[in-house]
Amino acid sequence: MPIQLKPRERRQQDTSGGSQAALTNAVGHAPAEQAVVLDGVSHAYTDRRGAPVHALADVSLRTARGSVLAVVGPSGCGKTTLLELICALQQPDAGILRCEPAVLMPQRDLLMPWLCALDNAALALRIAGLPRARARERGAALFDELGLGGFERARPHELSGGMRQRVAFVRTLLSGKPLLCLDEPFGALDAITRQEMQEWLTGALVREPRTVVLVTHDVEEAIVLADRVAVLAPRPGHVIAELSVDLPRPRTRTNPAVIALREQALRALNLGATEDGR
Amino acid sequence: MRAQSTARRAAASLLLTCICAAALSACGSKQDAVSAPATKPFTVMLDWFPNADHASLYTAIAHGYFSTVGLDVHPVVPTESAEPLKLLAAGKVDMAISYEPQLLLARDEGLKLVSIGALVQRPLTSIIALPSAHVHKVSDLAGKRVGTAGIAYQATELHTALRVAGVNPSSVTESDVGFNLVPAMLSGKVAATLGGYWNYEAIQLQQMHKNPVVIPIDHAGVPTYNELVLVVRAEEARTDGVDLRAFLQALTRGEQQVRANPAAAAALIVKANPSAEEKLQLASIEATLPATLPSEHSNPYGWQEPAAWATFGHWMFTQGLIHSDPNSAGLPPFTNEFLPGQGI
Amino acid sequence: MTPNDGPPRARVGQAITRRIARGLPAALLALALLGAWEAYVDIGSVSPIVLPAPHEVAAEIWNNAGLLSANLELTAQEVGLGVLLALLLGFMLGVLIHLSPLLRRAVYPLAVGSQAVPIALIGVLLVFWWGFGVLPKLFVIVLICFFPVVVTTVDGLASVDPDQLKLLRTLGASRWQALRFGELPAALPAALSGARIALAVGVIGAYIAETSTATSGPYAGLGHQINADINALQTPRAYAAAVVLFVFAIACFYTLALAERVLAPWANRPRGEIR
Repeated sequence: MPIQLKPRERRQQDTSGGSQAALTNAVGHAPAEQAVVLDGVSHAYTDRRGAPVHALADVSLRTARGSVLAVVGPSGCGKTTLLELICALQQPDAGILRCEPAVLMPQRDLLMPWLCALDNAALALRIAGLPRARARERGAALFDELGLGGFERARPHELSGGMRQRVAFVRTLLSGKPLLCLDEPFGALDAITRQEMQEWLTGALVREPRTVVLVTHDVEEAIVLADRVAVLAPRPGHVIAELSVDLPRPRTRTNPAVIALREQALRALNLGATEDGR
Repeated sequence: MRAQSTARRAAASLLLTCICAAALSACGSKQDAVSAPATKPFTVMLDWFPNADHASLYTAIAHGYFSTVGLDVHPVVPTESAEPLKLLAAGKVDMAISYEPQLLLARDEGLKLVSIGALVQRPLTSIIALPSAHVHKVSDLAGKRVGTAGIAYQATELHTALRVAGVNPSSVTESDVGFNLVPAMLSGKVAATLGGYWNYEAIQLQQMHKNPVVIPIDHAGVPTYNELVLVVRAEEARTDGVDLRAFLQALTRGEQQVRANPAAAAALIVKANPSAEEKLQLASIEATLPATLPSEHSNPYGWQEPAAWATFGHWMFTQGLIHSDPNSAGLPPFTNEFLPGQGI
Repeated sequence: MTPNDGPPRARVGQAITRRIARGLPAALLALALLGAWEAYVDIGSVSPIVLPAPHEVAAEIWNNAGLLSANLELTAQEVGLGVLLALLLGFMLGVLIHLSPLLRRAVYPLAVGSQAVPIALIGVLLVFWWGFGVLPKLFVIVLICFFPVVVTTVDGLASVDPDQLKLLRTLGASRWQALRFGELPAALPAALSGARIALAVGVIGAYIAETSTATSGPYAGLGHQINADINALQTPRAYAAAVVLFVFAIACFYTLALAERVLAPWANRPRGEIR
């Protein structure tokens, strides 16, 4: 069962004409099963030299509670900005954005070298005020459930890249938020480890269902893991295709249906590339 | 894995316990044995490390002469020669052992201090040279290098000695060797030194069979003065006369005891200063005894000769060491009133 | 790494041999220096008052064990307590400076200047305030040692991975929690290196403290003894005290290295593991 912490307010933005988004403390849910709702969201920021960067333009996405949405696209298509908006680290300049409370799992595992794996995973619980023993208890239970039993006391430097990502994922789970934003979680791993991790993640989500927004550059990965895939094209980031992946899990790369969807997605990506004259 | 962190915590707490234990023992004060309950604490800051010059003091303490008269005397050791008078003026110590020139300088700076007794009647400061330097009299210093202790008035004493001997002071190179006078001579780096004592460094060299040439500064043309004096604050001299008289009484008895048994006194010095060498201290005590009593036998131990003080004070003034002649100012820099048999 | 084959006793033997092998270069160098020293004194016929021979110094250590250990105890207490205080104060000040730019602007230049204060000047003042006990000496040691700790702590706190701090914030941490969970542990290795410096300087600090503040009693630490011995022309014994001080400093340093390994085992790992 998902671990719940104190409910946090959700942010609700309703703007037209690009004025400052207004925050409300309304504790209402997104309509029905929609965990993530983006409507016409646009966002720009100024880079280090002061030039404006239009990260996202008129992006509309929806995803149901408990489902996995994958976002694929080349660099510069605004994937990271999208995640930051969903996690409320920034407010969109325009458009409607309504999401469940979300937690961001960054690209780097950012495990603290002075804590063992279990303490790293239980970080959010300690921050919330749980005493160490209790936090470790909860973490250990999850470690066991997700096949990490035995690695509780290992230090980050003793773990492989894949293990570290797993610990980081457990940390993300233990933050208690119903919506997980994963930013290229397996990007730095080799192909074989990546495949292992994808299988592991699928299994983990079966045990600990969450709503997931997954950003990846690997189209295959998106199809293997997600229920819906949104393909973004860059400059400014916008959705050029959305695919539904209605296949039973676990999915294999060799499955013809997977391959077919992969072709579809790649075609959309190429389209997006030629569209921008790249 | 669990054992690792328990071991770590155990090691950390052991470390902490050791540090705390050390800290507590450092903070715990060392209690001196107090003989009589109703004694007044009395801190005396010495002029230097405990040595033969302090024989009467340590003997009086050891025999309880001070506690008999109601004083609990604690000697303390300074780190530099100007410190005793500074801390005395600041009220941190009750008495300071210092040098007559140093006292006159301090009074010139405005410190209200007064000397109530002399531990040594004559200067101990001497010009000392090894035979290899071929210096047998002051005039032999012309064109040579002299090591000094870096004390201004001692340099003036050297210049006076040179002039009296007919030597131009500028022909003599002075090197500040701090308190390493003997090593400087032994290494041959200087021909002679000024600042060593005839009852200390000279005896050290004699015990090393170096046969030094020793010229006490008052034999070289500088007016005589009391090398070591007992100094108190002027107000204390006014208000605590009873205690000061008692102190000097006890000290006199200590001096008599030193005469009777110099070896015991030497042992006490070593006890107070483990770095001191008993053989040297004994030789030093015996050499100093003749200089501790005034030449006029009717005067008590600690007597300060007014005429000598006047002459020396005037010398300091004419040499530009002090701004006003102590003889012309208000209260004299010394008083004999608390010495046994005086001032009654 | 450790060969795990072979019977346990052989492995222990191997470990001991390895330890000895590691200490061998230092031991050999020390012996070579001692040999050169002995030769110089004997052949050059230097007066023992100026430079005693190693064998004379060794004899003095042997003959004065009681005096040396009494003074060592005092000096060790000063160093232990003084450096500990310097570490605590230095670390606290470092954290405060890190948290408040205003405080940094106000305090940092003064802290730098404090290193230039001539101890000889303030010795009298310290005795005036705190008398003839251990307190003035502790002050001197703290004054000398706290600065490296402040600098390394501030630098350590500033070098924390900002992404890690961001992560803590996203997990709901307040400023204080970010400090506690993120910055302080990350800065610990740097602070410990500052502590190493402080300890190394602390022994010299104790010497300076003992020779610049007035004392009472026959035992006032190794530094004071060195001065008194020099004054009494007991140069070989002064050297003996200096040797004891030297060995003590080395022992302190390696004790701290041991403590570091216990308290911050991650500190010596290479940063940026291969992913």
